[in-house]
Order: sequence, then C-alpha cells, then structure tokens
Amino acid sequence: MLELNDVHSSIGKHEILGGVSLRIEEGELVCLLGANGAGKSTLFKTIAGLIRPWRGEISFEGEVISRKSPDRIVRRGISLCPEGRKLFPRLSVRKNLMMGAYTRYRDKKEVAETLREVYDLFPILEERSEQDAGTLSGGEQQMLAIGRALMCRPRLLLLDEPSLGLAPLVVKKIMETIEDINRRGVTVFLSEQNAGMALAISVRGYVLENGRMVLEGKASELAGNEEVKKAYIGA
Amino acid sequence: MSFFLNQVIIGIQLGSQYVMVALGLTLIFGILDISHFAHGHLYMIGAYLLYMVMVLGGVNYWLALFICMAALALVGMLVERAVYRPLRGQPQINTFIAAIGLILMLETLVRGIQPKALSVPKPIDKTLSFGGISMEVQRLIVIIGAILLITALQLFIKRTRLGTAIEAVAQDREGASLVGISVNRISALTFAVATALAAAAAVFMAPLAFISPEMGGVLILKAFVIVVIGGLGSIKGAIAGGYILGLLEALAIAYVSSAYKDVFAFAVLIVILAVRPTGLFRGRD
Ligand SMILES: Nc1ncnc2c1ncn2[C@@H]1O[C@H](COP(=O)(O)OP(=O)(O)O)[C@@H](O)[C@H]1O
Ligand SMILES: [Mg+2]
Repeated sequence: MLELNDVHSSIGKHEILGGVSLRIEEGELVCLLGANGAGKSTLFKTIAGLIRPWRGEISFEGEVISRKSPDRIVRRGISLCPEGRKLFPRLSVRKNLMMGAYTRYRDKKEVAETLREVYDLFPILEERSEQDAGTLSGGEQQMLAIGRALMCRPRLLLLDEPSLGLAPLVVKKIMETIEDINRRGVTVFLSEQNAGMALAISVRGYVLENGRMVLEGKASELAGNEEVKKAYIGA
Repeated sequence: MSFFLNQVIIGIQLGSQYVMVALGLTLIFGILDISHFAHGHLYMIGAYLLYMVMVLGGVNYWLALFICMAALALVGMLVERAVYRPLRGQPQINTFIAAIGLILMLETLVRGIQPKALSVPKPIDKTLSFGGISMEVQRLIVIIGAILLITALQLFIKRTRLGTAIEAVAQDREGASLVGISVNRISALTFAVATALAAAAAVFMAPLAFISPEMGGVLILKAFVIVVIGGLGSIKGAIAGGYILGLLEALAIAYVSSAYKDVFAFAVLIVILAVRPTGLFRGRD
C-alpha cells in the first residue's frame, strides 16, 4: 500500500533521512522504533508532504506521491497525527474535528457519521465538544488529535509518538484504541520510543537510527532481539 | 451637550473607517505573520477606482461599491501572489522592503496619472437633524455600512467552513496543512477579504473628504496602532481598538486641538502598551 524507496530528506542544510526504504501492506499495523532524534518525525512529515524528499520515491497505492502537497496527500487517503498534536487551540473540540473533515465537505451526511464514530471511540470528546481544544488535558488533546486525523477517513493513518508525555493508564487506553482503529480496516503506521506497548500491538516493526533503517522484522522477533530490548524496551 | 453628541457621532464614524481597515490588517497578520504596510495604499486605489467608475463612468454609487470591492479583492489576491508569497519564509525585513516598494509604486503611479486631489459626490446629499444633533447622511452610511460588513465578516469566520479554515491557519499552520487545508488558497482568500473591506471603507469615506495619492499613509499607521492596541491578530481587539481610537480622536479634535489629531493615536498607543503590553485582547482569536 505504501512504499518508500531510498528516500532522502533534509531540514535546511542538514540531511536527516539518508536513504530510507520500507513497505507497508494494506491492513497492517506497523511500528517504527527509534530513539529521540533518530528521524521518525521527519520520516512521517516526508510521507505527509510537509517535507519534500530530495531523492528517492514514495508511492501510495501504486501512485507516486513524493512531489504532492500535503492537502493533495490527505485527499489521497493518508492522514498524519503529528507529534505535538498541532491542534487549533482556540477552536472548539467540535470545530477541530470538523476541520479534520475539511476535504470532505461535499458529503455532509457521511461526515456526520464519521463524527459519530469518533465520538464513540472517544466519548470524552463528545462531552467536551464545545470546549476550546487548548483547555483539554494532555490525554484528551491526544485523543482529539487522533480523532481529527480520522475525520478525513484515511486508509493509512500515521501516528507520531501518540504516547509522548502521557500517564501509563492513558497510554494503555490510546494503544487499545489504535488496535481498534486498525481492526476497523485502517492501516496504521505508528512511531514510538518506548517499544514495549508498540510491539505488543503491531504485526511488524522497523528500527530507525540516525536517519537509516537498521532493523526490520516481525514484532515478536523484534521484541525478542537483544539489541532492541537494550535500546528501546529498557529491560 | 448636543455638541458633545455630534462629536461622538463623528468619532464613531471615524472609528468605523479605522475598524474596516484594521480588520484586514489583523487578519493578514494573524494568518501570515506579515505587516502589510501597503494596505492603506490599496485603500487609496479603492477610492480612485470609485472616482473612475462613478464620476467618469457614471455608474450608480451602490453598484460602484460592489464593483470596487470585487476589483480590489482581485488586486489583493494579486498582491499576495506576486509580492508576499515569493518571500514567505524569508526574513521579515524582506517583506517590509517589498511593502515599501509597493507603496512607492502605487503612489507614484497614481500621482503620475492624476496629481490633483479629487472629490466624489455624495450619493444622498442630505443632513438629518433631530434634537439639536445634525448629521450628514453620508456619515450614517459609513457607520451602518461598517456595522453590516463587520457582522458579515464575523458570521463568515465563525459559521462557515472557509472562515473557520482562516482561523485554523492562524492558530496552527502545520496542523491546517495536515487536515488538507491549502495554506496558499487560504492566504489568497484572506487577502481578498481584507482588501475588499478596505475598498468598502474607501467608498464609504470618499464623499466626505478629498481623495489624494497619499491618503492611505496616515491611515495605515493608525490602523497599525489599532492592531497593536487590540492584541496582534485579534479580531475583537481590532474592532474595539478602532472605535476607541475614532472616539478619542474626535473628542480630542473638539476639546484639545485639531492640529495634534494625528499625534493623538500614537499617544494612546504608548499609554495602552505601558499598561497592557500585550494589547487589549489576546491575539488570533
Ligand atoms: N527544524 C530543524 N532544524 C534542524 N534540525 C532539525 C530540525 N528538526 C529536527 N532536526 C534534527 O533532525 C533529527 C531528527 O529529528 P526528528 O525527525 O524530530 O527525530 P525523532 O522524531 O525521531 O525524535 C534530529 O537530529 C534533530 O536534531
Ligand atoms: Mg519525533
């Protein structure tokens, strides 16, 4: 479904991704492990079109997307829930979600259905629907960010460190919801620094170090790998 | 007492003009982080276009209002595309220099074609009086026209998908791109709306004063004072700040001295910023 071929990306004059290749099949839940600064966010931003790769190719469902603008990529069916959430702090929860469906304004009825699904996934968002996004707690903001990313009905959801800075209980709830989203047919690519939970819900994983993929394998194999254990599970 | 009330009406009318110009500036600042110093000169172009369409072309005033707003909306988009967009992401000073260049170009162009100040007739040349207050109908047109347009703008931003997208881009540009909003399109839209508002202000004001190539200069400085007083990027702040400045100025002209009326705005700026350094409202709401 998604294929990266030798992708190189730079921020300013610094090369951050030095030739990344990967492949994600439809329906999979794949995780991307890497320490702080490894380039996970840069990789996601590159897929989402916020950063143009200067070499290599990204294709989605057989079509090359590496030169498309972010709004075109959203319309093709890829949605990024970014690190730092990037919510609209002084818009209400409901308006944030509706902006998530910005590209789908023609089918009002379907948007209302998706909104219903997101509220069912995260009932707290419905309770707080008229509150400004900036007034939510960290966990609620993360739920809103995921909800907003789902509003465009993506076929591929990119989640950049959704557990960052959250209490363990909230992380557990979010991981369960991610599994649930994947079961409903959305392909998920998830980045994490703490590999434990991510590997537990994934089928496959990649390990990124200094902008290069150093390992790739089934989640169970990675979870048993000594180096991965040492570096990312803290065992 | 009636003298005082007359001054208040003049103040509200001055304030109406300021709000219409300052709203555009604050929208553009909120969304693009640029100080669009050439906005006052686009206002001036609006006034000259009114002269061409109405006086030279013989078109009815109200139809001319729509023509000027539509034409200046296009000019605004052109300015965004040709002047500001290529400079996005570059140091502020580059944008500043580009704006100054545009100001000089527009002013020189207009002065080259028509160096004399011109006047535009009032569409309804009457004066209403009641209870000792007398008011030219044109002043009423400015006041009511501004209220209608400000309300329309508020409804557009709060109630429509595109209006909310303007707020979204102002609040988080990257977040806006990620939900599929094209920041370029929203920038163009914002310039169109802002410049159409300035054109409306020019059309309303033109029959009350002479039009001249430098008419936008002092106005833009005052509009910036309002944007700063109101809290950079705040819509509510621009509305409150504009009316406050208009009222204070009208009263200062009447009771202090008309010679210093333009200095007054800056005195107000210094006092307000000393008391509330972030302005009356928080920006970008
Ligand atoms: N705006 C930036 N300018 C320069 N370097 C950056 C910028 N953003 C990130 N980097 C660098 O890029 C590398 C990868 O960053 P990032 O993709 O955020 O990693 P991760 O998400 O894995 O923590 C880091 O070394 C970081 O210092
Ligand atoms: Mg990151």
